Parts: sequence; structure tokens; C-alpha cells
Amino acid sequence: MQFIRIAALKDLRRRLSDPAALAIWIGIPVVLAGMLSFISNTGGTPPRARILLVDQDKTALSGLLPAAVRQVNAPFDIEDVALDAGRKRMDDGDATALLVIPAGFQNAVAGTGSAELKLIINPAQQVLPAMVRQAMEVLVESAFYSQRLFGGPIRKIAAGTGAPPSAADVASIAVEINQQMAALQGVLLPPVINLTVKREASAPPLNFGQLFLPGMLFMSFLFIAQGMSIDVWDEKREGTLQRLLAAPQSAGQLLLGKLIAGIGVTTVVSVVGLLAAVFWFGVAPSRLPAALLWCAFVSGALIELLTFLNLFASSQRGAELLSSVLVFPLMMLGGSFFPFEAMPAWMAAAGRWTPNGLGVATLKELLYGNVSVTALGIGVLGIGIPATLAFVGAWRRLRSFANA
Amino acid sequence: MINIQGLRKHYGELIAVNDISFTADEGQIFGLLGPNGAGKTTTIGCISGLLRPTSGRVTVGGHDVVAEAQDARRQLGIVPQELALYSDLSAAANLEFWGAAYGLSGTTLRKRVADVLDLIGLADRGRDRTSTFSGGMKRRLNFGCGIVHSPRVLLLDEPTAGVDPQSRVKLLDLVREQARTGTTVVYTTHYMEEAQELCDRIAIVDKGKLLAIGTLDELRRLVGEKDLVRLAGRFDAAAAARSLEGLDGVEVLTVASDSITIAAAAASRKLPAIFAALASAGADIQETTLSVPSLESLFITLTGRELRE
Repeated sequence: MQFIRIAALKDLRRRLSDPAALAIWIGIPVVLAGMLSFISNTGGTPPRARILLVDQDKTALSGLLPAAVRQVNAPFDIEDVALDAGRKRMDDGDATALLVIPAGFQNAVAGTGSAELKLIINPAQQVLPAMVRQAMEVLVESAFYSQRLFGGPIRKIAAGTGAPPSAADVASIAVEINQQMAALQGVLLPPVINLTVKREASAPPLNFGQLFLPGMLFMSFLFIAQGMSIDVWDEKREGTLQRLLAAPQSAGQLLLGKLIAGIGVTTVVSVVGLLAAVFWFGVAPSRLPAALLWCAFVSGALIELLTFLNLFASSQRGAELLSSVLVFPLMMLGGSFFPFEAMPAWMAAAGRWTPNGLGVATLKELLYGNVSVTALGIGVLGIGIPATLAFVGAWRRLRSFANA
Repeated sequence: MINIQGLRKHYGELIAVNDISFTADEGQIFGLLGPNGAGKTTTIGCISGLLRPTSGRVTVGGHDVVAEAQDARRQLGIVPQELALYSDLSAAANLEFWGAAYGLSGTTLRKRVADVLDLIGLADRGRDRTSTFSGGMKRRLNFGCGIVHSPRVLLLDEPTAGVDPQSRVKLLDLVREQARTGTTVVYTTHYMEEAQELCDRIAIVDKGKLLAIGTLDELRRLVGEKDLVRLAGRFDAAAAARSLEGLDGVEVLTVASDSITIAAAAASRKLPAIFAALASAGADIQETTLSVPSLESLFITLTGRELRE
């Protein structure tokens, strides 16, 4: 045991003597997670459209328009402004849209005149102006049908002096509307379309950054595994491997020391990456221990699998080439370049069965979902068995590799 | 301390070591002398357990290197021909690691590291990264890593190859120092002078075979009191050989179209007769070298080749 610890410490010391490589390994998930957070803008509340309203009509109906907009539960904030101030703020790009309700709007809705609503949108914004325009079109259409159905009562309201209507007027308008509804009953009831909305209970969808972070972490693990596993060739080249194999320690202890050192490095990267998940993507800290253990387990397996492969290469350059040829497709399939959710179904299905893909899929569940014992068991066996076989194979191969 | 009996190591058709047997006792410096490719490093590899012998038996401190590998390896210290150091670690860190690899720990390890750094003359550079060292310093550290755990048997595989004269002297002193403390040293070299200067017993090996073994005096006696005469020039090999056969006390060792090697007692007095005989055979002698009996003359006598060929 003591030699395993010493061998691991030796390899960690050697890694620390090259801080640039270590910084790159640690930096990969941090930089990528930061960029993804910036792209997905998950740090603040969802964006809202700011609508500047210029009411030149100042009637009861024009006052109803902003109230109606507020009631549609859209992400709109309406602010009353003067026309000049509104134009200046639009020029400054300070709002999503400027809506001008012209004088005579109420009469136009009552059917006794005409008016034209003006909507000026901010071309610098992409989605929100379109949402505002659509909401306005719905409102205008509603006003049209209201005029057709309830033109009389509306005209009565429009004809008012501005003072609250009398009880008799309210009763008269109510009776008129009721009669109109009764007349339409044959058309409206029973409804021609029966719409049933059933809401399935489901986890909230993951944003861009949340989808990518596990893949980014495993990209980093693959790079580290590639760097750490080639160390057997470095030690062979430096002659230390042969010297070590002549010492009274087993090759298994030496490999175990190297594995522990590798897991030490990936754990540092995991801690950084998972803390980024907590701070940027709102992952609950209580999920971290299991995620950290999983990362250590899978990254160790990746190191062992690549070490085993490297022992069969005919030269160090061949080993580097072999691991590169393997690592990049694994990254591609295993969800490091694109999340499984963005892949064709067949590719995602294949990718989920690669060692790193299995690692990514389970890590996502550990961070954002609920992983079942069965799924975890499949993951542990699916990764653990090949890694154990690779370890035993490497152990048996190491001596002949050193002497070759 | 080391007992090798009938050691063979084959790589397919290639026979790297062919039936080598020798013993080396406590405190003895045992030299394996031979040209490159003679099988010295393979022999060291078999003793260290790094290579599995094809046949034969090797014991270190009474432990079989195959059957009791761990016990045998515990007795051994190895200084390989090529540097075997972690260049990205300091000298002290290297010594600590190799000491720990042989079971040292705690204060024993720290004290031993300090002692060895002092012994190899790197006490003031112990914390410096090995990659900043000169070739000679690395060689000394390479040696230090082999003795940090105070082994009972030290295997040195051409430790002075490519070393500057000053570091070479220092290294040879270190080897003697180890032997003085009771360590058995097996020292491979292709430098005849080193073997003569350092070794208590010497085995001459070539092409995997052990040609001769003994103390320096015993080996010298094998060539008798004959001096070695080497002639360079242009010769008709057959005619030259015939012309020399008739000379009393002259033994022709090698004949080629550009060189002839002759062994003869009191050769300096026989040179006129040798020159005359060769002239009658149409030889054109351009260079003559006469050497007193040595390991080299023994090697040429045994193999018909020079040690450095």
C-alpha cells in the first residue's frame, strides 16, 4: 500500500511540475462552461419586452388596451410615455416597441370613425418584437369581433361623458349583451371544437449550458486520460519503468499508483466543473458528492482503458496516434461535442453505450434528474467490467512492454 | 552472494547469453568485460529479474530470481546503462522515490537521502530539478538512486558510458566505496582499463559466451608473457601467414589484407625478423604497435578481434 501511495504522489508531483498542462486540463471545463453560460444567459430572469405606450386618445377604451395586454400573461412590461420621450428611448435601443394609440381610437372601435394604431419595434432585438407584434394583432382582431358583436353597448360606453355610468345604464348594457349572447347560443353551443388540455408532470427542460456541461467535463477527462495514459511510454523512454520493474514491487502496484494519480487530477477538474454547475446552472450542492464519485470512477476507467491500449502500440508516436484516433470519435459520439439531445437518434443510442457516453448520460441524471439504481448499476458494470479487464491486461502486459 | 549457473537467454533464433556461469562474493567487484552486444546487459537483466532466463539458475543472496523474485530483488540495487531518472523531479525527490520503492520510509529514508546526496556530491543541488543537471551530475544521481537503499548486491551496467573524466573518477571511487562496505558489485564495461583498475575478478564475454574468468593476474597468465604486435599496411594474407609460420616463438593471431596481429615473447627483439619475413612475402608495412600482455591481448587471443571492434 505504501508504494502505491508513493507512486501516486510521485506522478502527481510530476504533473504539478508542469502547471501549464494542468491549467489547460482544469481550464477546459471552466472556460467552456463559462462560455455556455454566457450564450444561454441562464444567470438572470427570462427576458421581458418593454413596451412604451403613447395614449393620445385617453378614453376608457384606450385605457383598456394596456390592461388587456397585461392580462394575456405575456412577458411584457408596459410603460406610459410621451411621444418624444418614447421615440428618443427607441432610438437609444432602450425598449422593445413603441405603441401609439391615436386620438379617435375609441370611436373607431365603436364603429363611428377610423384610427390606425402605430407599433414601432426595435430591430436590434430578435424574438421579443415579434411577440409584441403578434400580441397586438390578436388584440386588434379581438376589437374587430367585439365591435361586430357588441357594437351597441360599446357605442353607449363611448357616448358617455366620462363620468361613471348610472345603474340603469349598466343594467341596460348588461341586458343587451345577454340578449346578444342568447342569440349566438345556437352557433357557439355546443362548441364545435372540444379542446382538452392535459399537462404532464415533467422536469423542467434543460438549458444549453446544462446540456453541455457533463459532456465538457468528460471531454476534459478524455484529454487527461490521454495525457496520463501515455506516461507508461514516457517512463519507458526515460528508463524508469524498467528500473521500477526490477524493484521488489509488483507491476500492479505501479499501475494502481498511476491510476490514483490520474484520478487525483480528474477530481480537481471535476470539483472545478461541478462547482461551475452549482454557481452557473443552479445544481443543488447536495447532488455533488454522488456526481464527484461518478466522475472519479469513470475517469479512472478511461485512464485504464487508454493505458491498456497504449501498451500495445509499437512506439510512443503510435500510441499517441492510436489514442487520438480513439478519443476524438469517443468525444463526438459520447456527447462532448453535441449533447445527445441534439444528435440523430441512432447516434445518440450508440453514443450512450460508449464508456464516456454512459458516463455523461448518468452524470446528467445525477446532476439534474433522478437516476435509478438499475441505471446506475448498468453504468457501473458497463464501465467497470471493461476497465477492470483493461487493468488486469495492462498488469500482465507491462513487463513485456518494458523489455520490448 | 551471486551465483549464476548455466544461464541462457534466447530471443527466438538469437542467443543473447549462452551458458554463462560465475559467482561473486560479498565485497567483491566482479567485472563483465566484453564488446557491445556481448550479452553483458542481458546478463544483468536476468540477474535483476527484468528478463526471464531461458534456462539456468540465478540466485542473489540465496534467493532464486525467478522463484523468489521479490526476496531476490530486495537485495539488489541497479544502475542501468541509460539514465533512469525522473527529470521533472528534484534530485532529492528521485532518491526519495527510489528509496521508497525498496521499502525505506520516514526518518530512515530522509537520512539516507541526505547521506547519498552528500556521497555523490549533490548536497547543494538536492532541491534542483534533475533536468537542469549536467550529464556527469545525472550519472552520479543515477548511481545514487541505485544505492540509496543500501543494497547487498549492486549491478552496474556501463555506468561510465559517455561520462567526462572527472565524473568518471568520482564514479569509480563511489563503486570502490560500496565494495568496501561489503556490497557485492557486478560491473559491466567495455573499457579494458576500467576493468583492470577496478575489478577483483573479471569475466570476459563475447557473443553471449564466457571466454575466460579469473583475477587480473590469472587472466594475464592465460596469455603467458607474450607481447602483442599489431601491423597495419597492405598484405597478401596467405603469403604473410606462411612467411611468419617459420619464425620461432611467433604466434599469428589474425591475418587480413590490411592488418596482422602477432603474439610473441620479447617481441621487440623479434621485430627485425618479422619485418624481413613479411617483406619477403611482399608486404607493405605502414604502422607497427607493440603492447605488453593485457586484457586486450587476451581478448584478441581468445576471439581474434579487438575489444573495441
